[in-house]
Amino acid sequence: MKYIDRRVSVPLCAISINPGLVNKTGTWKFAEPHFVDQTSPCNQQCPAGEDITGYMYLVGQERFEEAWRLIMEENPFPAIMGRVCFHTCEEQCNRKDHDEAIAIHVVERFIGDYGISKGLTIEPPKDERGKKIAIVGAGPAGLSAAYQLRRMGYAVTVFDSNDKPGGMMRYGIPSYRLPKEILDSEINRLHHLGIGLTMGVRVGKDISWDSLASEHDAVFVAIGAWEEARAGIGGLNKGGVFNALAFLREVNLGKGPQIGKNVVVIGGGNSAIDCARSSRRLGAEVTIAYRRTETEMPAHPEEVALAKEEGVQFLFLAAPKKIAGRRHITGLTLEKMVLGEEDFSGRRRPVPTGEFFEMQCDGMIMAVGEGTRVDDLPPFITHKGGVVEADEMGHTMHQKFFAGGDIMDIPHTVTHAIGSGKRAAIAIDRFLEGKKWDQGSLDRFRWGERGNVSLGRINGTMLFPRRTLSSAVVAFKDMNTFYFDHRSRTKSHMIPLEERVKGFQEVIVSPSKEEAVTEAQRCFICGSCTECGNCHIFCPECAIKSDPGGYGYIADMEYCKGCGICVNECPRGAMRMEFME
Amino acid sequence: MRKVITGNVAVAYGAMLSDVQVVAAYPITPQTTIIEELATMQSEGLADFDYIRVESEHSAMAACIGAAMGGVRAFTATCGQGLFLMHEMLHYATGARTPVVLANVNRAAAAPWSIWSDQTDSVSQRETGWIQLYCEGNQEVLDTTIMAFKIAERLRLPVMVVLDAFFLSHTAEPVDIPERERVRGFLPPFDPGDIWLDPDNPKNFGGITMTDAYMEFRWQIQRDMEKAKGIITEVHEEFAEAFGRGYRQVDEYRAQDAEVVLVVSGTAASTSRDAIDYLREKGKGVGMVKLKTLRPFPREEVIDTLRGKKKVAVIDRNFSPGATGIWAQEIRSALYELPDAERPLLYGYIAGLGGRDISVKTIEEIYEKTSRSDGPDDVDMWIGVNYV
Repeated sequence: MKYIDRRVSVPLCAISINPGLVNKTGTWKFAEPHFVDQTSPCNQQCPAGEDITGYMYLVGQERFEEAWRLIMEENPFPAIMGRVCFHTCEEQCNRKDHDEAIAIHVVERFIGDYGISKGLTIEPPKDERGKKIAIVGAGPAGLSAAYQLRRMGYAVTVFDSNDKPGGMMRYGIPSYRLPKEILDSEINRLHHLGIGLTMGVRVGKDISWDSLASEHDAVFVAIGAWEEARAGIGGLNKGGVFNALAFLREVNLGKGPQIGKNVVVIGGGNSAIDCARSSRRLGAEVTIAYRRTETEMPAHPEEVALAKEEGVQFLFLAAPKKIAGRRHITGLTLEKMVLGEEDFSGRRRPVPTGEFFEMQCDGMIMAVGEGTRVDDLPPFITHKGGVVEADEMGHTMHQKFFAGGDIMDIPHTVTHAIGSGKRAAIAIDRFLEGKKWDQGSLDRFRWGERGNVSLGRINGTMLFPRRTLSSAVVAFKDMNTFYFDHRSRTKSHMIPLEERVKGFQEVIVSPSKEEAVTEAQRCFICGSCTECGNCHIFCPECAIKSDPGGYGYIADMEYCKGCGICVNECPRGAMRMEFME
Repeated sequence: MRKVITGNVAVAYGAMLSDVQVVAAYPITPQTTIIEELATMQSEGLADFDYIRVESEHSAMAACIGAAMGGVRAFTATCGQGLFLMHEMLHYATGARTPVVLANVNRAAAAPWSIWSDQTDSVSQRETGWIQLYCEGNQEVLDTTIMAFKIAERLRLPVMVVLDAFFLSHTAEPVDIPERERVRGFLPPFDPGDIWLDPDNPKNFGGITMTDAYMEFRWQIQRDMEKAKGIITEVHEEFAEAFGRGYRQVDEYRAQDAEVVLVVSGTAASTSRDAIDYLREKGKGVGMVKLKTLRPFPREEVIDTLRGKKKVAVIDRNFSPGATGIWAQEIRSALYELPDAERPLLYGYIAGLGGRDISVKTIEEIYEKTSRSDGPDDVDMWIGVNYV
């Protein structure tokens, strides 16, 4: 092999000094990556329509005031919410499939308490719209609607037959769950906004519905569910026998009703638990008797667990039959039940067995459900089966009257009421602006397909400067959890067990700032771009660059080959691959 | 300084003294202690290199290629399955003309799984364009590792230093460890030459090459492989001058007047020396030729050394299924040129696969078989197989 005398004119290896940009590799792709901000499952679930991932992001960066204002856009009572809401959002949290769901209520409570301790306020609106709205009922639905409508610039007056505002939040929920000081701090903030509160007035009796309607441009009816359900047994007027609403009202007015030393509470919902735990604090031994089993109890499991810890006894498959005693209750005859077929609620129906037994007691509370006092409703709106006939947004048969809260066919929770009040405010605003009602366009402003409407989305005051908003909800399988470690959830602290039943002081203690921030940092921020940079770092073509618009990234489609690595490596499902035509 | 060290530690010393700047490696038995030793040396302040922990040998070689193109001295080590996984990148390193040094501890191919000594891994990579240098003892391992960097950088071709699994990698021998300053005097600092990713002078290397230019690049590799023979000899001589130890690509031991010449590589060469001494005492006319380089194949030297010998017994610790042992193939093909009268009878033996010993007895058996027959029974003969 004679190499010595020969030459070739190439370098050692192929060298090129021209840039490769002339090769538009974008023509190779048949699918493209899109930055699409999708909806987190918690946001979709929240009955009040809060931007939970938004405020988690802010708390994680210790931007507490911004987080507070983000919640306040949708819900005026975060400190109340963090205490009394049963946080169904946490049941949807994607993190539960990774380790444990985010303790969303702990973070929300922290933000609410921060707002109170810093004296944060919402300023009155700059422009007045010149229209007046009457709100009947100063419970969570009414106050939520009042707050949103006032912020929009309407003149708002709230009427309520009680002495103080709050509705069930004050007269139903005991202080050991929601201290009155917190409730007052949250509600008093509304005064600064210029919302008028007329207490001690029952509309329909002290003022007629006609005059209210003629003096206002719209009326929002949210009178709540204050009618105790019928129990169908005799002797309910004997001494020592209470219905839940009346009992809790006395408790919450600080009147300490004379309940006795040995109390039976009939019922299985949250009211029954409230009655039982309150009775313990009034010095009684308490048994809850429920006609089905623990599985069918509507009460929240956390409340049931706390009741058990506080010494409340539970008796299942027992229904009251007869109250013993002449003027005052001395005992109770109960019938043993068995579970039969499923009823309309999907729970197994209790079936009487004909076997009876006696219990001694000197106090009894009937907590078997609350309904609307339909006689208190205005004649202009129709009702059926104890609930008002209205659509999701609160439109009734009468154009000027809107409905919300417990009088609607929605779950009886503070959160649902707040969400309902917000929806009605949006509906009232559209009506007063003369805008045609459009269900389809409103669906665009929901969180996901099933969520509540978001005012942030309507007003364009979203946290993340989003380019494309999608109603698609991010599932766990859409996440890339390689980028998240495993950390367990912050647990709520409680005062010692011995202290709890001594009085009505709050049982659950507020989290520290560090706990709230750490918990917020566990949030995956499902569906929203947080500028983590994975897409930019991993793109083999260096085709993903910072968005010149200022936030996030864009893909240069001239060079993107559609490999999909960016979408795969996005930890939080804020990108989608779209197949091209 | 003289120390009793294993072959793996000797490799580590070689790389450390050569001021290697990047090590990208993936562990595999029986190589792992090379990179562990290098890591220990780094933690003791004896070395200062960037260690890139990769998830596979393919990535290890890719990282070394990138490092070399970035302008630094790069090193890695592997064996058997790891070398196979690296295969695509071995070709790439050659075509990219990057002077990477790889220490390969000869390990048998799976399946079935074996961690023991067998040359199939390195010899089956002979087409990749790497220079392959085989070692018979730990001193040679250390010395060859240092020389490898000089050869690679002078030629702009990658170099593989090969040592037997366990017989060298895990066996300790007394080794002379050169002083760092003398190694620095012997080995100049790394110079990337033209193949350099310089951000101030951005270029693209190895881009798409059409049918009208590719062949010229390959021709250059072959030309430089041809130059390699001379350069390896030069480096051997420079090493001898600096450190007092000389090596040859083709080395003889008592082969001048031998009737049977064994041709061996690796530790079999070391055992052969002893076997030859015993046989010579008994009056047998046996000698050996040790081959240090597989690539570039030292054709002319092999022809000159074996010309006129009566019988040549090649011992292959490897084979190419469907053909014969690979050293035997190479030698047979070189000897084809010789006229009949000068061409020895070639006996190809396959022995020691998967760590089976090539002992003095094995060599004696090979000698007997060769010397007693008029010609080989077969194109290859397997020694030590347990037939039923």
